[in-house]
Amino acid sequence: MKGYIVRNPKLAWREVDGEMVIISPEDSQVHELNETASLIWKHADGRSLEEIAERISTEYEVSLEAARADIGELVAALEQKQLVFVATEVKG
Amino acid sequence: MAELDYPVKRPDTCAPLQISIGNVPLSLFIREETLLGPALRRYREFAQNSANGFPVHLNEPETRTKMGEFSYLLDDAKLILGSRGAKFYGVRHEYALDSLLRILLTMVLLPQRGFLLHGATVVRDGRAYIFFGRSGAGKSTVASLSPEGSVLTDEISLLRYSDGCWQAHGTPFWGEFRAAGINRLFPIAGLYLLKQANDDRAESLSLKEALRALLPCVLFFTAEKRAHETLLQTLMGLTEEIPCHRLHFRRHAEFWKVIAA
Repeated sequence: MKGYIVRNPKLAWREVDGEMVIISPEDSQVHELNETASLIWKHADGRSLEEIAERISTEYEVSLEAARADIGELVAALEQKQLVFVATEVKG
Repeated sequence: MAELDYPVKRPDTCAPLQISIGNVPLSLFIREETLLGPALRRYREFAQNSANGFPVHLNEPETRTKMGEFSYLLDDAKLILGSRGAKFYGVRHEYALDSLLRILLTMVLLPQRGFLLHGATVVRDGRAYIFFGRSGAGKSTVASLSPEGSVLTDEISLLRYSDGCWQAHGTPFWGEFRAAGINRLFPIAGLYLLKQANDDRAESLSLKEALRALLPCVLFFTAEKRAHETLLQTLMGLTEEIPCHRLHFRRHAEFWKVIAA
């Protein structure tokens, strides 16, 4: 699984009962993430998607392939809402 | 004659109108009689002499916004907020003053674990019940169904953590009641998101549901990320301590039975 993921730095967020509540300060839009998406969000600090897939595979006791598939869908949704950015390589 | 580098500051002969809303002392410097009279009437219940009121200057010659100052444009009126005071420009009537004061309070209260909420506050047995919701949710209805003298506001509630608990303060910000407000504070017993229905029942909300319900009803005017983080933290603190419900109600005073239960 290729790519590195990072949170949109403009967003404000807090963890509530293990799940993320995110606010976009520019338009006050509120986003809520489910448990798995919250886990991705928590680790979206420039880490590779593969590393996150491995973590989810371990945490939820699912195969790496299943974790990759889940992540692929969730990351695409998060990216579409501009909550995260995915880069093919780490800069800097 | 050489030009001065800075304007000579003349002594401020304008005596301020001193008020306190939510335990935030404000000194309003209003020079225009046409504004001062209505302001005196509008905020009479909130008049309070304080030597340390946060200065708010109205309609003085406009100066350039400085780095770090917050500014907000509301129709023709404008608010500039710095660490030492605020300036209101283009205030033509008491309603514009009222609107800018609300915006100012949201900013001043934020670091003090306080905020304004679209909600009616009703006091019962010495405790405050907050009924919140957007326009048309039934805030004024709840207020109208409550005993005279028990309503702290029918429109904008002020919630603030102080003296070890969450308290609701009276505000001069009213809706249909057009009342002057009551400048008192009471510990908060519960938060109720209003939902008009065919029955009366209170549905308990989880922390996340409560946050989701409260956020759209908070008066908030800044796009700054840190301010939003502070607001989230404040609301989380509130919902961890104060029970939040969705109140299904029939626009009838019977809803108090559900709350008392």
